[in-house]
Amino acid sequence: MKVTIAMRGTLKKRYGTEERIVEVPEGTTCSQALEAIGIKYQEDKGFGFVSVNSMRCDIETELHDGDYLKAFSKVYGG
Amino acid sequence: MKYTILRDKYEQQAADPNQTIMSAYQNRVLRINLTEKKATVEPLRMDFAEKYVGSKGLVIRYMYEDMAPGIDPLGPENNLYLTTGPMTGTPIPCSGKLSVAAKSPATGTMNDCSIGGHAGIRIKFAGYDMVVFEGQLEEPGIVIIDDDEIKFESAEGLWGRGSHEVEAELIDRFGREFSCMSIGPAGENLSNMACINSDYYRQAGRGGIGAVMGSKKMKAIMIRGTGSVKIPNIKEGTDRILELLHQSCLDEENQFIFDVGTFGFLEACQDGGIMPYKNFSDTTDENWTEYNDAAVLPYRQGKRGCGSCGLGCGNFIKMGDVVCEGPEYETTAVAGPNAGNTDPKEILRYNMVCDDMGLDTISAGDTLVWAMEMTETGQHDFGIHWGETNKMCEYIEKMARRENEMFSDLADGVKIAAEKHGGFDIAMQVKGLEYPQYEPRGSWGMAMSYAVSDRGACHMRSYAPNEEVFAASVPPYTAEGKGQVVYNLGEFNAIKFSCCICDMWGTIDYAIMAELLTIITGKEWTEDDMAAVGRRVINIARAFNQREGFNRQQDTVPKRVIRDALKTGPAAGQVIPPEAFESMLDQYYEVLGWNKDGTMPDELIKSIL
Repeated sequence: MKVTIAMRGTLKKRYGTEERIVEVPEGTTCSQALEAIGIKYQEDKGFGFVSVNSMRCDIETELHDGDYLKAFSKVYGG
Repeated sequence: MKYTILRDKYEQQAADPNQTIMSAYQNRVLRINLTEKKATVEPLRMDFAEKYVGSKGLVIRYMYEDMAPGIDPLGPENNLYLTTGPMTGTPIPCSGKLSVAAKSPATGTMNDCSIGGHAGIRIKFAGYDMVVFEGQLEEPGIVIIDDDEIKFESAEGLWGRGSHEVEAELIDRFGREFSCMSIGPAGENLSNMACINSDYYRQAGRGGIGAVMGSKKMKAIMIRGTGSVKIPNIKEGTDRILELLHQSCLDEENQFIFDVGTFGFLEACQDGGIMPYKNFSDTTDENWTEYNDAAVLPYRQGKRGCGSCGLGCGNFIKMGDVVCEGPEYETTAVAGPNAGNTDPKEILRYNMVCDDMGLDTISAGDTLVWAMEMTETGQHDFGIHWGETNKMCEYIEKMARRENEMFSDLADGVKIAAEKHGGFDIAMQVKGLEYPQYEPRGSWGMAMSYAVSDRGACHMRSYAPNEEVFAASVPPYTAEGKGQVVYNLGEFNAIKFSCCICDMWGTIDYAIMAELLTIITGKEWTEDDMAAVGRRVINIARAFNQREGFNRQQDTVPKRVIRDALKTGPAAGQVIPPEAFESMLDQYYEVLGWNKDGTMPDELIKSIL
């Protein structure tokens, strides 16, 4: 299946500003999709949260064909 | 005229073996009695500074000492404080904020606001740690603090005019080396939502602090300082400060705020399910891309930061006939989705008009979106509907001038308006201070942050979405553990703001704060000291409020949050059960050693004085 992955906030600086359409196996989770494009989110101190189709979700949420996965950096300030 | 130095107080300080005079402080508090048009200078209470550092903490301790409980916030007994910290005026980045404080007419609590710009640094360079305005002018005037000279002038020709125009005229007259702090018509007319402006677009925004200045009949304060701040070992100290600037302040993590500014939070709040929609009746907005950063940033003309700033969060935006520095996230959310509006130009216009009229965009916005819902649902006809943002601007001007009874009611804020017209269940406020733009049903800890905040609903005291949503480090839809989470975040902000470090230096930690304080004061500070000061600041604010009669009964949540489930977004279905809210309060009080009724034990109060 195909999913689109995009970075937000300071993650854009580290991992690029462009959306990436990637082919992943059925049952792939958000964390696996990020790892598939080389993002070791657990080692990234500025990594915040993920959303799928603009809905915040757990990073172990399973993706579906056509999903849009966004990875956000932490937010400071208010 | 020149001030009178209270030499006997300096002699007392010099004779006190328990007081250590720290570097980086000016050791001078300027008190200006507006009623008598006299000024005095006295030593800074170093015993207070050792316990509360500066800015936020220091001023609350002074307020506790200076002001008797029960005074009228708009009467002459209420003091208006401008308070710097030891870091102000040093090379430490992001240290240019100024604490502006008084008892709040909106809430009856203590109220300290943080304002950016350059006024703080100029006060420090003029030779003062703190300026205290006591009493009231007989006629509208302006006060000029020009190093050692204190002058009073009439505000004739300025009173009644918008803040932007007044600042432009005064800067033109006095020169660009002066900072101007001014109020708009809202402050003159004692609106509970009136703010103080400086550098045109920076505000001490909340709790009606502008009404306190208005009650003193001060249209503007002009400040020039040509002195300096002394720190020990200046070469080594400055070298280390510059290292920390590069290692931490300019860390990639903080640069988002330069690239985009706070309204870049919009997408995180939208996807995170905490961006309010139509007076907090729901979250998220399917049309949010019409007014997000991608829609607005192409109109950016330039960037701006405060004095000492390393990050420069301000965006100058020009859209057609509207030019403004902003909008920040809060203003975007309240005049955008929360008002059912999708036009970014109208959001910017709302921002500009509020600043000029001297109204806090958050409180005025919440009051207007409440009026929209009241009108839409037929509960009371305020004549304004969802999406009528152009009318919001018209209403702002009329509220600031209290043009008729309806606008005067709205100028008093949502709590008082709801007490009169109904709709209290959907009036989004705590203690009379309107909700910032983070929906607590998507971040349960935020409901308690708002409830226990020392000045009513404020997001700058303990920013729960940081952990619950943005860092995903704790689950958002549970009460479990939230007492400690909210306390930890609150302790951190309390010491950070007492150092007068800007919120936007997000990666600073206790180790860096302690090291910076040690460098500039010549006294050794530790990480444990930072935690202890933070805790003390939370406690002294609570002690002030307790003396005013506050306890658990006022640590509340709007009924909508504990009654109505959200319908859309990732937090759909979420509502905070009342027992969960009460549990969070129990936990928070326990962490702080407070009584179950939200009061502080006497021995705890004694220990922090």
